[in-house]
Amino acid sequence: MNYLAFVLRRLITLIPVLFGISLLVFFMIHLVPGDPAVTLLGSHATTSAVAELHKQLGLDHPIWRQYLTFLNHLLHGNLGESYQYKSSVTSLISQNLLPTVWLIVAGVILAVLISVPLAVWAASRRNRLADSAIRTIPLVGLGMPAFWLGIMLILLLSLKAGAFPASGFGTGTLNHVRSIILPGLTVALALVPILVRSLRASLINVLQSDYIVTARSKGLGAPRVVLGHALRNAAISSVTVLGVNIAYLIGSTLVVEKVFALNGVGFLMITAIFNRDFPIVQGVTLLFAIMVVAVNLLTDISHAALDPRVRLS
Amino acid sequence: MADNNNDEISIDRLAVMAEYEVSRRSMLRAGVLGVGGLGLTALLAACGTSNGPSHSSSSPSASGGKAKRGGNLILARAQDAVDMDKTMVFSNASIWVYVQIYETLTTSSSDGRSVHPWLATSWTQSADKLTWTFKLRTDVKFSDGKPMTSADVKFSLDQASSTKGGWEFINSAIASVTAPDPATIVIKTKYAWAPLLADLACPSNGIIPNNYGGRSKKQFYSAPVGTGPFKWGSWQKGSKITLTKNTNHWRPGLPYLDSVSWQVVPDDNTRNVMVQGNTAQINENPPLATVAQLQSASGVKVTLFPSTRTDYILMNQKFAPFTDVHVRRAVSYAIDRASLVKTVLYGKGTVANSLFMPTVPYYDKNTPGQSYDMSKAKSELAQSKYPNGFSCTYLASSGDTTDSAIAQVLQASLKQLGITMKITNSDPSAVHDLQNKLQYDISHSYWTMDIADPDELVQFAVLPSGGGHSFETNYNDPQAQAVAKQAEQTFDPTQRQKLYSQLQTMLAESAYLPPLFYQSLPYAMRSNVTGFFVAPTGLYDMGVVSIA
Repeated sequence: MNYLAFVLRRLITLIPVLFGISLLVFFMIHLVPGDPAVTLLGSHATTSAVAELHKQLGLDHPIWRQYLTFLNHLLHGNLGESYQYKSSVTSLISQNLLPTVWLIVAGVILAVLISVPLAVWAASRRNRLADSAIRTIPLVGLGMPAFWLGIMLILLLSLKAGAFPASGFGTGTLNHVRSIILPGLTVALALVPILVRSLRASLINVLQSDYIVTARSKGLGAPRVVLGHALRNAAISSVTVLGVNIAYLIGSTLVVEKVFALNGVGFLMITAIFNRDFPIVQGVTLLFAIMVVAVNLLTDISHAALDPRVRLS
Repeated sequence: MADNNNDEISIDRLAVMAEYEVSRRSMLRAGVLGVGGLGLTALLAACGTSNGPSHSSSSPSASGGKAKRGGNLILARAQDAVDMDKTMVFSNASIWVYVQIYETLTTSSSDGRSVHPWLATSWTQSADKLTWTFKLRTDVKFSDGKPMTSADVKFSLDQASSTKGGWEFINSAIASVTAPDPATIVIKTKYAWAPLLADLACPSNGIIPNNYGGRSKKQFYSAPVGTGPFKWGSWQKGSKITLTKNTNHWRPGLPYLDSVSWQVVPDDNTRNVMVQGNTAQINENPPLATVAQLQSASGVKVTLFPSTRTDYILMNQKFAPFTDVHVRRAVSYAIDRASLVKTVLYGKGTVANSLFMPTVPYYDKNTPGQSYDMSKAKSELAQSKYPNGFSCTYLASSGDTTDSAIAQVLQASLKQLGITMKITNSDPSAVHDLQNKLQYDISHSYWTMDIADPDELVQFAVLPSGGGHSFETNYNDPQAQAVAKQAEQTFDPTQRQKLYSQLQTMLAESAYLPPLFYQSLPYAMRSNVTGFFVAPTGLYDMGVVSIA
């Protein structure tokens, strides 16, 4: 089976998933107490003003009819209009999507760049001092909350050293890269301990297998054996671990976005939840669902690319 | 408020005074003596000792000379604006931006207690008090270069009066607006209406081009045009709004800055760090908990501007015990306001005695509001129908530290009275909704004024016509309503003061909405930012701000 057919089949299974999610999200947010009109009006929410806004926003219709309207718009590729901003949810999401995607990509790249050398080093120095240090020190990163770690990075590398901007996303690709390093590092430092541990464990496992013994007895040097033969096989399970964690990251970059004032979709989502801006909440949830499914798909594909024995089906 | 910093205050105040003097003189040169607006506002700001802002800074800017031109100022804030439609939007984050674009006929003074001319130069009132004739400035242009005339004013006011679910209640007394000649506007009111001048200073009555300059309403508000010191630049929703210098602005030499940006930085610590690192020049509303730390940071000054924010305890009269005035008084006496000011406001506020705040006209400092006294609380409860207490539930906003502190202090005091108070938490939107639907026992809320007249608050908190269920308490007092109505139609300031003093006393004695404390608006800024002043209504004029 080729990749294309596999990807297509997986994309088709996405449709019922998205439908289910839209149904759940729509009814959950409408069940929670709180009224978008009252929030919009603030301290001036008189009965008549609230009723008037309900009419303008279409909130005076029964909830099943609101859901059908939402579905109808969705089928036409329209996510609706934000109650707060009075502009289309699609444009709001596309305005705010870039920082979030950059953050996730930068976090994953930095995590891999840090984890792989550390794991290789630890595995090749098994049970020695370097190994113990590599296994324990990154755990500190896992224990530190992102809001604290982020502020510390800002204080040290931005305010004191002046190497990176303290916050914001900058304009132009070069500034984006400069701005994304600290937040990316904050995300990466939480991923590193998990990746290092899983990669180290599978490397050690692989290094004991017969074909490595064969490679060694052929007279290959240690770097060749580890990097050329062992790493590729060891990476398979770590790719799965990384995939699961990226999916988890997509819903949780909010804190890092907040600390570094990146104002991505996570921030858009939280503000919308507090303001009961239903169209944005629905739109962003659907987007997150698509992203999670896409990451899982990519994980499966890279799994197959790493291990020819795996067949996509 | 920062009493231990007297030396620095005076130095800083001198700097502010010199700063404003420059603006005032340049206005006098231009022969616009009639407009007290900026000059008078500035003098009041500079001279006011009791009501002026208290400055404290680690390195005060003593640049008494001319303000520097140019520069791009960044304001870091927690929330984004939502919309530029002045007739529909209630979010302060939006209003504080669009008042740089739209200007009003009148403006409130820097202490919030009177109204001055702005785009109108003068006005007269007919003998029957129903017709007001305003003379407009003739040197005002919109940012697109077209002159402002009475047709624009008529359109703007008519639009502000005709919305639904927006700010139209501010203009409810206006019967008609006519434009007999390009420099004159005539407003007829349905009945004698004293708050009219203050109403015209409400941001919803800002002046925009006639017929939206030929665009649709939606198109117009997505890139609005006005006469203010700044014009529309760009808006990346959720992140940043940028306004640029309006070179057609009518005040000579203003604005100083090339652009102003409001950048959304949700994290409190990050906003503070940005001002310390000079990536933002002003931090809008740093949490009071961090003010002391900011004051000691180098290159940063913190100013606490007196505001109209007043916090209240809401007692829902659909809950039987709170229909008893003695119960309400008992609760009000049991609130330790002084310790709330200490714990919630870190000492940066004052105990409230009246429903009105000291920053609105007709506030009466002698209003006999209840102050903390447990023995009086006990004797009031003994006189009530519930001498042995009762159980109630406090509706608190989750994540709101002010609210949870108030709830806990109140819970401890009420326990001594035999009143068992449970605390439930909901998120802010749900709390607001439940209060609005009168589905709670006891809760907390606050008010801020948009105009320099107590009537805005009175309509919401006393009069049923305001539609506010007496500030969501369902309180109904025909006597107080009669006094409030009479005050709306009384023009003589002495008479009006008498009525409002009477009203404040009546409301204090009924204890239906116990006021807690008066707050200020803290702003942290770089020491070299000059001219930044926040009026009690929360509005600020970026036109006079410069970076030295």
